[in-house]
Amino acid sequence: MPILSVLIFLPLLFILILSFLPEGKVLRFSVFGFSLMHFVYSLYLLVAFDKSTADLQFAEIQHWVPDFGIKYFVAVDGLSIWLVLLTTFLCPLVVLATWTSVTERLKLFYGSIFALQSAMLGTFLAFDAILFYTFFELGLVPMYMLIGIWGGKRRLYATMKFFIYTMAGSVLMLMGIIYMMLLCSEQLGQISSNLLDFYRLNIPFVGGTFLNSQTLLFFAFGIAFAIKVPMIPFHTWLPDAHVEAPTAGSVILAGVMLKMGTYGFLRFSLPLFPDASSYWAWVVLFLGVLGIVYGALVAMVQPDMKKLVAYSSVSHMGYIVVGLFSLNAQGVTGGIYQMLNHGISTGALFLLVGMIYDRTHSREIAKYGGLASRMPLFTILFFIATFSSIAVPLTNGFIGEFLILIGLYKAAPAFAYVAVLGVVLGAVYMLWMCKKVFFGKESELVGDTSHPLLDLNPRELSLMAPLVILIFWMGIFPGHFLQYTEASVNHLIKSQQNYELNVKAVSNGK
Amino acid sequence: MVSKIGLIDLLYAAPLLILLLFAIAPITIKVLRGNREPNANFLTALSVVGLVGVGFLAYMLTPESPVLVFGGSIAFDRLSALTSAVILFLSAATVIVLNSHVHTAKNQLSEMLFLLISCTLGSLVLVAANDLITIFIGLELMSLPLYLMVAMSNEQKLSKEASFKYFILGSFATGLFLYGMSFIFGTIGAVDLPTIGEQAGKLVDSNRLFLVGLVFLVIGFCFKVSLFPLHAWAPDVYTGAATPMTAFMSTAVKIASFVAFLRFAATQATAGSTDLINALMWISALTMFVGNAGAIVQTNFKRLLAYSSVAHSGYIFMGLLVVMVSTDHSQMGASATLFYLVGYSLMTFGAFALVSLLETKEGAPVNVDDLAGYAKKQPMLAACLSLFLLSLAGIPPLVGFFGKFFLFSAALAEGFYWLVLMGVVNSVISVYFYLRPIVVMYMQSSEKELNTQSLVSVRSLVMICFALVIAFGVFSTPLLRLTKIAVLGAF
Repeated sequence: MPILSVLIFLPLLFILILSFLPEGKVLRFSVFGFSLMHFVYSLYLLVAFDKSTADLQFAEIQHWVPDFGIKYFVAVDGLSIWLVLLTTFLCPLVVLATWTSVTERLKLFYGSIFALQSAMLGTFLAFDAILFYTFFELGLVPMYMLIGIWGGKRRLYATMKFFIYTMAGSVLMLMGIIYMMLLCSEQLGQISSNLLDFYRLNIPFVGGTFLNSQTLLFFAFGIAFAIKVPMIPFHTWLPDAHVEAPTAGSVILAGVMLKMGTYGFLRFSLPLFPDASSYWAWVVLFLGVLGIVYGALVAMVQPDMKKLVAYSSVSHMGYIVVGLFSLNAQGVTGGIYQMLNHGISTGALFLLVGMIYDRTHSREIAKYGGLASRMPLFTILFFIATFSSIAVPLTNGFIGEFLILIGLYKAAPAFAYVAVLGVVLGAVYMLWMCKKVFFGKESELVGDTSHPLLDLNPRELSLMAPLVILIFWMGIFPGHFLQYTEASVNHLIKSQQNYELNVKAVSNGK
Repeated sequence: MVSKIGLIDLLYAAPLLILLLFAIAPITIKVLRGNREPNANFLTALSVVGLVGVGFLAYMLTPESPVLVFGGSIAFDRLSALTSAVILFLSAATVIVLNSHVHTAKNQLSEMLFLLISCTLGSLVLVAANDLITIFIGLELMSLPLYLMVAMSNEQKLSKEASFKYFILGSFATGLFLYGMSFIFGTIGAVDLPTIGEQAGKLVDSNRLFLVGLVFLVIGFCFKVSLFPLHAWAPDVYTGAATPMTAFMSTAVKIASFVAFLRFAATQATAGSTDLINALMWISALTMFVGNAGAIVQTNFKRLLAYSSVAHSGYIFMGLLVVMVSTDHSQMGASATLFYLVGYSLMTFGAFALVSLLETKEGAPVNVDDLAGYAKKQPMLAACLSLFLLSLAGIPPLVGFFGKFFLFSAALAEGFYWLVLMGVVNSVISVYFYLRPIVVMYMQSSEKELNTQSLVSVRSLVMICFALVIAFGVFSTPLLRLTKIAVLGAF
């Protein structure tokens, strides 16, 4: 059975079914049912996954455009398995979170979410460069719809900016992919866009100059991923997109879509351009550390909660990138772990900000105060998410950032000193916001007796519960999760210079 | 070159001759009825049957290897068969849109059909032409009916202006083409493409007159396929003409002109002159820029699509450049060009057919802002239009993406790095204006009453284009193979 193809294309089947359902309660329940089913189905991967090997598992290979050596090639390994799970995990939560807040054009809304789901899963599972590019680009369209239709006031500007920025990066990558395909026909005798063939290429590299293939390719791919992550100076689309996006859009964007960039670094840049990535690592580290500090400083002065969380994303994504480019086992493991952490903690924060926004229609920090006495449950959950975000021990964030900082310290101590600063700054802005919002005198908005604020209802609690459980589970038992990635990470670090991957078993011949 | 016209020549030319009968049929019926207009639906059905039938016939008569007929002036091969079939189907689709369009003068339908099918006939001659004289005849046979058809619209002002502009500039371009031809004939004493290709190698550098002749020919072609700086007519004419005509001009006519240009390019007559090739590369890049920059500022949707069509000529020309200079990648370039032409025609035809549904009797232009709320009123059509626009922008896995991918691959294989860079930069620029109509359709609402007629005939055409844009994108191999085989035998 083509396990991964079913995983990727099941959401498209859901869309087809949705189009025949009437708008309303039935639709909502079936959407929730579908997304839950999809998640449960994806858990099978965890069960059947062989943790001892770095080989590709559940591989499926079919010809797609044989004249250009393009294949439909999907598989999963330790680097991608958790991202796949994260994607399917967040979907039912997002559906629950939008239960009451989205009321118009439900079919288009949930259709977009499912389409996005397909595209993101495809991106993480594709092992053919053109297939990867296809899913990478395809994800833009539904996100564009989500922001553009259900977004805030400046949504059209934000959504256009988001699309054009990302597209600008990815077309450079397309040029790079075509170049490498032609290189395949030169070096391996036949044109191919298979990633495993790409790994075998010998791409000329000359240190210190720009005009050699490996450096140019490194930057062509790197800029595409850097825009997606986003890294400074390509980050300006992110705050706009986040602020205007509806809660569902923000959660998916921060939770999963940004990881397409860091995953790209991990899957493409590091193993494909080993010389260039170690030679130019300092540029990436510099930009990453700059992002950590800059994101934190800008977050500190934000008057809007959502914008604050958005800028904290810039800061946190900086950690992931520096972890990956430490080019050692701790750094890369930390980077991968932090991708999940960030998805969970930032996802949780965006969900919580969305819940309070649904009640008051304001995200302005200055308008709040003394919320703790009115909404105690909300306060507790918000603090847990905050602790995870600022890496308090026993939460998942701590493990990720700790591993990254160790890795970075081993690779480039000077950068590590500055990055540690980011941890402090992170605590500062998050706790400042918490102090202003939850404690102190009750503000007009909070104390408004004509519209009393209700604490979280069972639906909201139940959607937050899995996130809270994961925050502690991942913080206390990181081994449960890291055992899946270990083999792949070690293989990547040990053989980065001549990286090769094998396919464990192909489920459909060929 | 004196040769008899044999039976075999006539057999291969049978599709053209049958088409000629279908061209004069409507007008003959009208005359026989004492100048009373026959039933519109009957005429439409007759023409569609004729065009589609001849389309299948032309494709069935595909020779195994190229057949030179009429003393070598016409080459029937897989290339001409494939493109003829595509042109005939597009022409049939145009007839259907034309029949139901608000600007079609119903009392002149038989004349319109006569002109349209004559124009198609010219296109068929053009795609099979193997010497300059025949190319010239094909061009004229294609253009003259177009000049008239552009003017024959119920809309009074713009269409007349467009027709006149097209006529003046078009005559000028064909004049240049003829002039260039005389230079070539003067230097080598022949006008057939194979001889030009053979002689060019030693003459391009040494003989100025020959080179000037080639340049004039290229200019003539550039005008027909609307390349910068000879593109200025296209937006005006495309906007002024009735929408079915625009759809036809920007697809079938463009394919025909490009295929003739392709045959000329495949002689590699210009390969010897690096200056000329450099200049042509700039023309390709500038065409993309001018087309896309022009489209960004448009409010009129039809004009936006017209500029986008100019930009796409720039992309397609990249493929021709590969064919012009490459010794080992010219097959790749030619098949990519053909693939792009077919894919581009599908999405452009679909988009224009949709525009024709939106138009009203008063003849007010369809502005991008008028599309507000279209997604709520016509969800299916709005989805189709979005898909066409996304495909034009080159979003995978639609046909537009693979068209660009094949073109860029061919150009990169030939080492046109900066030209491909210009191409991808332009893809990003174009995203801006292709997304704007989608923004308006889905994200803005308006109180204004939208003309939401949805004729079953046009609607089904749009759906066919929609299905093909997806199908040829997700499964691009069959079409790619077809185009590869088509160019394999041709040159």
